[in-house]
Amino acid sequence: MTAHTAGATARVESAAAPEQDYADYAAHGGIVRGALEWVTAHQDRFALPADVSDPRTDLNWSMKPLGELARLSTSITRTAHTVAEHLHDEEWRRLARHARGLLDFAWAEIAEGRVLLELARAEPHATYPLEIYSAFASAGLRDEEFEEFTGALVRTRAWAFTEQQPNRRLGVLAAEHHARLPSHDDPTEVLRRTWLGSLPEPWTFDVAAGYALTHTVFHLTDWGARPAGVPADLNRYLHHWLPCWLDTCLEDQQWDLTCELLAVGASLPAPYPPDRYRPVWRELAARRAADGSLHEVGPDTEGPDTEGRDDGPPDRFTHRYHSTLAVAFAAALTAAALTAAGVPAHGGRATAFQAGAHR
Amino acid sequence: MSTLKPETRDLQKSLEEDVEAALNPGEAQGYYRDTRECAALLLIAGAALLSPPAPRPKK
Amino acid sequence: MKNLSGAVCDLASEVVSVLRDGDHRAVISPNGQGPDAELGVAAVRVLGADVLLPSTLHRHPAAPGDLRLVREAVRTFPPGGDASASTEWSHWAMREALRRHDPTAAAPQLSGAAPDAAWLSRLSWQELTHQLAVLGALAVPPAVAGPSPVVAAAAPRTLDLARGFVRAVRRRDWLQAAGAGRWLAVLDSDTSPVPATLGLDAGLDFVLRMGGADPRVALHAHAARLLRAGAAG
Repeated sequence: MTAHTAGATARVESAAAPEQDYADYAAHGGIVRGALEWVTAHQDRFALPADVSDPRTDLNWSMKPLGELARLSTSITRTAHTVAEHLHDEEWRRLARHARGLLDFAWAEIAEGRVLLELARAEPHATYPLEIYSAFASAGLRDEEFEEFTGALVRTRAWAFTEQQPNRRLGVLAAEHHARLPSHDDPTEVLRRTWLGSLPEPWTFDVAAGYALTHTVFHLTDWGARPAGVPADLNRYLHHWLPCWLDTCLEDQQWDLTCELLAVGASLPAPYPPDRYRPVWRELAARRAADGSLHEVGPDTEGPDTEGRDDGPPDRFTHRYHSTLAVAFAAALTAAALTAAGVPAHGGRATAFQAGAHR
Repeated sequence: MSTLKPETRDLQKSLEEDVEAALNPGEAQGYYRDTRECAALLLIAGAALLSPPAPRPKK
Repeated sequence: MKNLSGAVCDLASEVVSVLRDGDHRAVISPNGQGPDAELGVAAVRVLGADVLLPSTLHRHPAAPGDLRLVREAVRTFPPGGDASASTEWSHWAMREALRRHDPTAAAPQLSGAAPDAAWLSRLSWQELTHQLAVLGALAVPPAVAGPSPVVAAAAPRTLDLARGFVRAVRRRDWLQAAGAGRWLAVLDSDTSPVPATLGLDAGLDFVLRMGGADPRVALHAHAARLLRAGAAG
């Protein structure tokens, strides 16, 4: 019999870390901890510049990373808390507190909503201030003035017909909900206009479609908090085809998208089974740098941090902050899915916590 | 095959090896077009995590 | 002297041509056996039972010249003692095809037990797809080709093969995709259906457009289309 030479199996085996079982809380706790420690060590890079509301400031490299930090810290806080309660485990309580600390940092950076209000006043018909606000609002961090200002605008016809990709429209609808504003559209109808909602031929998957589908699921489930938000046909469809997409994303070295797909698997009404995600997690974990961070794509060849924000070539931080947040998010959701399946604390090698397996 | 001349036998032998190889190919290398475009895509893709803000002029 | 892969492609082109026309004619032209006779027989051995596929699917009697060359390939390239499972199974399929198309000429070398197929059920979906695509010539409905242990072993794994098809298309491995698609066309059944969301017909069309310049890809894709259209069903 010939061997399966260049496929996923061989690659995964070569990257094996035999002491970790990625269907185990400890392994995922270690990934979350390593990533959060890296984020904390680079917290100043998420800080907003003093001139954030200056029209010449590039929000893609200021507001966007901070918004993503808020979004994923919110989810990781909630998820780590769920795991901690299930296991009565101090390490997961620490992780929940750590993530909450990062969320509080982001809330302080936007001056408890005031910066978002300023941006909303600067661009009253843009949806992004509300979308970022919803990350905070869903964690209970609110600004009445922002909600009041935006509330008037979302009632316009123009707002309801803002031209956006359907998966992003779902995000705006979810944001309206979190900001306690009236919804302008029916999410089930918007869903069917997304790539995923059409149940597309799975062989048409590419990176752009992949990000569209992960975000569709994130918005449907409130970033993993509500698996029941995924309709039965999508659940079935994703169970059928996630294995092929994960396999090829690994081979294509799309680490960031792999994290998002794993997060999708952990957000399904029937979570993606450990036997399937275990080798994917093993390879992904092996791709992390020694400092707990993960780069977005390809081989890890980036140079040192240059502290540059707008000028000069993208540095080490630029190409790993997103995937580092994503790997923590996916690992926390995977652990939470184990609790939903009733997996006990010490079913596997959970003692690795005491052995200092985490970074 | 013992009645064949030596050079014919060599030819036959190498043909047998070629046949065996053709019947047992390894898996072809995967080819992904995305990898080359990743730098351009990632900004858009990453931005999708929350929202790509309207493009603004750089300082 | 041309190389073997070139000869295999030439032969595959002929098979595709006869398969598409549906004509009752020989795959191998009688005057094509010049100085490259050995190479021609080797090419027949590599393509295996697919040399007789047009006759099988269109239910025509096979041309005597085609049968003679398949018989010669079976005799000239028997699986050795250390032969791989793929080699053994493709040889078995040629013997079976000869028995069906030429029952009067059963020779001693056409007998022999079927090799083991249990190993197929132990393969991951990626490995299974690779191996079955290599054995694409065995993807023929039992209704026309008789019972096959490989078909029986693959039958319950349509979802795994469908995943392999998706993976192959994404990796742009058109030959594997076409082989997997042909297997799916054979195996799709009420008891083990190919998921409707796969879009197999559009997928086969896509593979043909993207990779059909390779006649081996075209052979599998056209065979799959014929099967989907109900030929030999």
